[in-house]
Amino acid sequence: MTHWQRGVIVVGLVAMLFGMGVHYGAVEADRWPYPHEDTLAAEPGAHVGHEVLLFGTVTDTNPQADTATIRVESDHGAFSLTVQAFDAVVERGGVVQVLGELTAERTVDADRIVVVNHSGSAAWYKYGVSVIGAVLVLIAFFRYWQIDTDTWRFEVRRNG
Amino acid sequence: MAELLSTVLLTYSVFTIGSWWIDGLDRRWIVVAMGGAAIPDLVKVDLLVDARVIEQTVGLPFSYTPVASIGGVAVVAGIVAMLFGTQWRRQAYAILFAAGGFSLLIDGARVYADGYANFYLYPVWIRPPTPELFVSADPAVLGVALIVGASVFSVDRWTATG
Repeated sequence: MTHWQRGVIVVGLVAMLFGMGVHYGAVEADRWPYPHEDTLAAEPGAHVGHEVLLFGTVTDTNPQADTATIRVESDHGAFSLTVQAFDAVVERGGVVQVLGELTAERTVDADRIVVVNHSGSAAWYKYGVSVIGAVLVLIAFFRYWQIDTDTWRFEVRRNG
Repeated sequence: MAELLSTVLLTYSVFTIGSWWIDGLDRRWIVVAMGGAAIPDLVKVDLLVDARVIEQTVGLPFSYTPVASIGGVAVVAGIVAMLFGTQWRRQAYAILFAAGGFSLLIDGARVYADGYANFYLYPVWIRPPTPELFVSADPAVLGVALIVGASVFSVDRWTATG
């Protein structure tokens, strides 16, 4: 296989991946079994009374009243929601999933809260540990493989 | 998703255990599997270039999510396999795809508020039920992965020298 053929195949696969990204972006809101955050951002009043599953960043909590405010990102900008029956312990900056009924335009009565990150720093823990994972992969890989600089391909190390 | 270190350690463990019975699955392929397990994590490119920036640039809807799906893993594994020398390419593809799929299975076991995971079987639009084993920032996941990884590593070295 020549460099050209290899290049054409790689470009073709990258184009295919991009096409999948566009397809997913176009179709996801219809496939998601609940009103999608993009839909809620565009038409806040259209889904009152429906069940929703949303991911959001906690911006405020009120433990006395069992409520919290979360910020939900969407393609049409971020919007804030008040979550009632918020029974989880989360700091500001934490990330939660909220399943519940949309009782007003921007209010959810939660049936279940899942804490994804307890705080903003929990996200940094995740990224930090992930970077260690990526470094481990690179070290392990290049212990057994090397780049042949004549052909620009991975080849087995002779001593590997 | 689980952090990458846990995913990589669990992938190392499963493929190393597999290598005890499968001829040809040696350490140079186990490290390729560890790389394949990282494919779905490429979805985190979103932190560098937000999908909305791409949508605004090209004027089309766009999501990185397919990279963390079985369809996306099949394509990315193809791209990475093309970087290997000709004689390694088929086996590299098979290992990368299997490991990427395993990584999706781990990720599909995390908690979702309604009990169903995301569309990781895309292009099939199904949300498989999740056993709800962990939430993504849970340090206990790393604890388990470290214990499993260290145990498998020890047994592997012991059987190799014994």
